[in-house]
Amino acid sequence: MHINLNSTATTMNTILRRLFLVFALLVSSATSYAGDKLKVVATIPDLADIVREIGGDRVEVSTICKGLENAHLVTPKPSHLVAMSRADMLVQIGLSLETAFVPGLLEGAQNERIQPGKPGFVNTSEGWEPLDVPKILDRKFGDVHPQGNPHMNVSPKGGRQMAARVLAGLIANDPGSKAAYEARFAEYSKKLDEAEKRWAEMEKAWAGRKVIVYHKEYDYLIEACGLKLVGSIEPKPGSAPTASSLAELIDSVKREKDVTIFTAPWSNNQAVARIVEETGAKSVELPNMCAGIPGTETWIGMMDLVHQRLSQAFGSGPSR
Amino acid sequence: MNSRTAFLSAIPFTLCASASAQSTPFQTPGMPAQTYGAQASGQTDMSQANRFSSVFNPAFSFVGDFVADYRSGGGEPAGWDMKLRSLEVMAQAWVDPTAWAYFVANSDGEALNVEEGAVHYTGLGGHNTIRAGKFFIDFGKQMQTHVHELRTVERPLALRALLGEEIKGNGLEWDDWGAAGDSTAVRWSVGVFDNLLPETPADFDPTLTASPSILERKSAGDLNFTARLTGFTDVGENGTLQAGASARVIPSYQADYSPSGDQAADLRNTVVGADITYGWKSDTGVNAFTLGGEYLISSGDTGFSVTNPGGAGTIAVDQSTLHGWFAFADYALDQNNSFGLQYSATELPDGSASNATEADVYFTHSFSEFQRIRLDLTSYDQDGSDPSFRAAIQYSFIVGAHGHGVNW
Repeated sequence: MHINLNSTATTMNTILRRLFLVFALLVSSATSYAGDKLKVVATIPDLADIVREIGGDRVEVSTICKGLENAHLVTPKPSHLVAMSRADMLVQIGLSLETAFVPGLLEGAQNERIQPGKPGFVNTSEGWEPLDVPKILDRKFGDVHPQGNPHMNVSPKGGRQMAARVLAGLIANDPGSKAAYEARFAEYSKKLDEAEKRWAEMEKAWAGRKVIVYHKEYDYLIEACGLKLVGSIEPKPGSAPTASSLAELIDSVKREKDVTIFTAPWSNNQAVARIVEETGAKSVELPNMCAGIPGTETWIGMMDLVHQRLSQAFGSGPSR
Repeated sequence: MNSRTAFLSAIPFTLCASASAQSTPFQTPGMPAQTYGAQASGQTDMSQANRFSSVFNPAFSFVGDFVADYRSGGGEPAGWDMKLRSLEVMAQAWVDPTAWAYFVANSDGEALNVEEGAVHYTGLGGHNTIRAGKFFIDFGKQMQTHVHELRTVERPLALRALLGEEIKGNGLEWDDWGAAGDSTAVRWSVGVFDNLLPETPADFDPTLTASPSILERKSAGDLNFTARLTGFTDVGENGTLQAGASARVIPSYQADYSPSGDQAADLRNTVVGADITYGWKSDTGVNAFTLGGEYLISSGDTGFSVTNPGGAGTIAVDQSTLHGWFAFADYALDQNNSFGLQYSATELPDGSASNATEADVYFTHSFSEFQRIRLDLTSYDQDGSDPSFRAAIQYSFIVGAHGHGVNW
């Protein structure tokens, strides 16, 4: 069989030239997108809300996680890759909360501005004192987070921490607007002061109440409220309950008595229902991020709802 | 030259070598640079990184893939079998700020083979990546993937028949992507390789069929090529859609039948494929379904058979255009359990383009991110053969930080 190499090479060249032209057009249309606002990608809606609070109309924010999801298991979408490739600033919680998608998106987006070590990479857990820092790093203990429990966004103190880091990040990336950011931060701090007083007042009545969680994402809330964590439906973080682990937990809940189950929207499943049915324990579905449940569009709104639902579950305060 | 002059004249060489590779002062000109990396203060007794430092070691992982199965029909004796299908060892690390490298070796319990060993160079800027080394080709959504990470126990029939179980080659691939609007990304790649013929299957019988091969030294036009173009877009809040087209071009290969010494030369083969995948996740991300499929066309010299096998056997080349396709639907019941259906139909490159179909039903339980068990029931039917059935249990585990250079 005879192959005409010249003809094959010419055809390949033509195809490659046309492909190149198509992509040059696509890429030029994409890169022509511009704006004066600082383009910020927030990994979770809580951070997006705080960036908007402090950045005001100087920022344009997009979010990766949706409010009802488990942040550990988010699958990124094309829009996330595009947003990351154009971003001036990435704001994350860190502590390996977003390990399912941040490393991959950073690698895929190939955006130098938001790589770790650059001003555009804002890690809001920097300076936070995490709970549950493992003494031994071994997967025998489940899906451990080497730097500690990452769910600081559900801590009543989390808003202040996230806001401080967001402020520093915005100033580092847009120093010309420093005064404006600081003014908005001061306003937001006042709102936080009021909210924290409100929550502290409610929390006083709950000290010592026994709770179990599905996933260890309310540890900071539990600590702040003086609650007593007596078990976890996931036998180890990230591991689904087994028949034996569930039976053991049910026995434990029966022994402990008056236990409340904290569950997130993503984990409010049959295992929770079974414990409620067999033990008579109350369960309360708490938001684990903003913007999933009506009324949680802002971080302060989310923490208000958390406190209202806890009041309801613990037998005090109005229902919502 | 006195000793002082000799010392001074050596300084430029020493400085050059140190600047590039932090070598020792005793590295002499013309010798390879020793790459110790940056100083790791306090990491060794001399407070300098040296050849005994382990702080810059790559990340290692191990994967085990165990399959137990029962087969019946297909003209073969029925029964159970169990085997360690693969034990994979992987290492990966950044080479320097512009490149990362990975290495994958695989063993079926006997021989250890290098499956991949490649470097991703990202220093070109933009979204460009150059991959060089030995690696799986960028064809469709499943050919990049190692078999233990597939959705099913085996690769879909149409891919196995028209491309091969695994296609890896030594070569170079240029990959780039761009955004089209706010929610669409388009990626393309072109690759050039030494040899993209599938590896000889374990049950290959040289007395019954000819063996294909590619000359080691060849002209540039006879190198093997791949190309892929794929677009990936959001569909609403919860869905994504990806469509792509791929090609593998083998401009020249030959087939040899050793018992008679017959040879068919100047053969060529091109496989093109079009794939589409739709994914949907619930608001909580717990439930999900994925629908997908790929259509393949193999053209040129697509297969061959041996007429009168034995000492007088001659190779008959088939130039029929072969078509094959597969489609699947997967549903995730929750984070740990999913099930799916897959159907594949293809014309086989057996010299007579006989038809074959394969249907799979499978259930997967993930104990965690790192451990999984799967039950897969497969029915296979081929023209001129008895249908066959397979029930397989696949168990896979991952130890360590695992992740291949798979692109979207």
